[in-house]
Amino acid sequence: MPTEQLKQDNNEQESLFLPNFCSFKVVFAVLIMGELLAFILTLAPLNVEQQRWNDLALISLFIQWNGLMCSSSLCFLRARTKKYSNKTVAFISYFSLLFMIILLSEFTFYVMIENKITDLISDVSHWEFLFHNVSIGAIISALALRYFYIQHQWRLKIQAENSAKLKLLQARIRPHFLFNSMNSIASLTRTKPEVAERITEDLAELFRMLIREDNELISWAREKELSQRYIDIEKQRLGERLSVQWQVDDIPDDAMVPALLIQPLLENAIFHGIEPEIKGGEIKVTGTLTHNQLIIVLQNTSSTNTAHRKGNKMALDNINKRLYAHFHGQALIACQEKDDVYCVTLSLPYQKKSAL
Amino acid sequence: MKILIVDDEPLARERLASLLKEIDTRYYLIEAANGLEAIEQVNNEEPDIVLMDIRMPGMNGLEATQHLMGLDNPPAIIFSTAYDEYALQAFESQAVDYLLKPIRKERLEKALDNCSKLNKLQLEQLGLQNQEIPHRSHISAQIRGSILLIAVKEIVCFLADHKYTTVKYYQDNVVIETVIEDTLKSLEEEFSDTFLRIHRNALIRKNMIEALEKQADGRAVLKIKGLDYGLEVSRRHLSNVRKLLKSA
Repeated sequence: MPTEQLKQDNNEQESLFLPNFCSFKVVFAVLIMGELLAFILTLAPLNVEQQRWNDLALISLFIQWNGLMCSSSLCFLRARTKKYSNKTVAFISYFSLLFMIILLSEFTFYVMIENKITDLISDVSHWEFLFHNVSIGAIISALALRYFYIQHQWRLKIQAENSAKLKLLQARIRPHFLFNSMNSIASLTRTKPEVAERITEDLAELFRMLIREDNELISWAREKELSQRYIDIEKQRLGERLSVQWQVDDIPDDAMVPALLIQPLLENAIFHGIEPEIKGGEIKVTGTLTHNQLIIVLQNTSSTNTAHRKGNKMALDNINKRLYAHFHGQALIACQEKDDVYCVTLSLPYQKKSAL
Repeated sequence: MKILIVDDEPLARERLASLLKEIDTRYYLIEAANGLEAIEQVNNEEPDIVLMDIRMPGMNGLEATQHLMGLDNPPAIIFSTAYDEYALQAFESQAVDYLLKPIRKERLEKALDNCSKLNKLQLEQLGLQNQEIPHRSHISAQIRGSILLIAVKEIVCFLADHKYTTVKYYQDNVVIETVIEDTLKSLEEEFSDTFLRIHRNALIRKNMIEALEKQADGRAVLKIKGLDYGLEVSRRHLSNVRKLLKSA
């Protein structure tokens, strides 16, 4: 598929840690950095002589040549090293940079000596000149590559964080549910406007809770109410096919639980267990309180075609993370499938609002 | 014009029906709640256009469409879906018309105006790209202009003749047979997890195998539930049969 291909290309370019040395902007930055380096090298020696500005000009010329040659070699390599890993590219780049510096140093040395242009290097031997240049070049190149690498890592981290956020949001809101509910509302607006109104209110309340950034605790009474609103919406759509049985009187209303703990599980049960069956099915929610620990069990008949359970896993992971954030090792979530019954068990400590 | 609305949600059907009535009061509307009912309705009523939801229980819209395309004169199909990543990708790549729920009246009108018939190639590609159905739930045969559906779980075996593929299946506890158009090779690929090839001309449902017997003349013969005679296992497939019997 062409779209997929495009995405892959983008990824490849994104994953190369070097910036594009073929672009004007990057080369310009190289020139500026080179000039700054020339200033440093001119200012660094402590024995002050009058020739300083003359030296700056020559050092600048040499460094700019180096910068341009190195940039063009990296530009040249960019297209040819696409399929290699970052490690290999770093290795190749580093040695090609050193090679360029050696080449230019040699060239400069001979031109200078032959034409006796300056006495700046007249009192150093050939090997000393080469050694100095290559050492400085090696250090600067290594620093530059390291810098690009760290910047690249940082960019990757930002990307990963963004996509994780998006995934989290999707784990909480299944687009399938949103659009189907919209369709129900569109239909009810014609026939039963008062039901449409109520469903819209339910949906608004549910989404207000869904899009909250912070992972807060709410009372069980509130959690139960939100879950029932969700079931109300789905009932409009599925009618007789969906039946939910609540046996949760044992759970005290003031128990604090992470907001929307049950709703994603109900949604999974409907998506995987109820919707694929012509006759529908039943979801059973049972809750007990033993030894100050709340046990909530959610059971549904599982569908015969268990084609994809990826969405399911995502929701479970998400709930697990949120439970851990509040209760650390004291809470757990487990699921099992036995004889066509899918069962999720939640266990968390009983905490009253006042205790928090 | 006769239009069949296929959707498992009563509210969705209701809305489509009222939109269609607004577009043209002369439309004759019929409804079905899943793929199986849709095929029954097509057999009985022969609609011109089918508005087909994708995600439905029992038999989904893509599979139902696949069976309908077996007809000599199939109805035009317009797909509709609320949100279905895989199906949408498949539609876009095949340039097949589809409607997104909640459906706009103007969009529906446009789809009805230029609804064209799917060709088989497009449909095959849709099936391939839709990851939600790894294989069909039913096999279909065309008999006197209507579709006969055979649930895969009722099938005992597929047998190939020179030209035809026959399917033997249970109907009311009796094994009967029908000629179908699929080839043994494509069936083997599609149902590789539940069916096993035992001979160039036979594909057997794995859990229908009763026993492997050695004949006096050295041939290996498989006893099958529901068949009063054994089926020969070719030497090439014998090791696979043995492996299966051992693991069972």
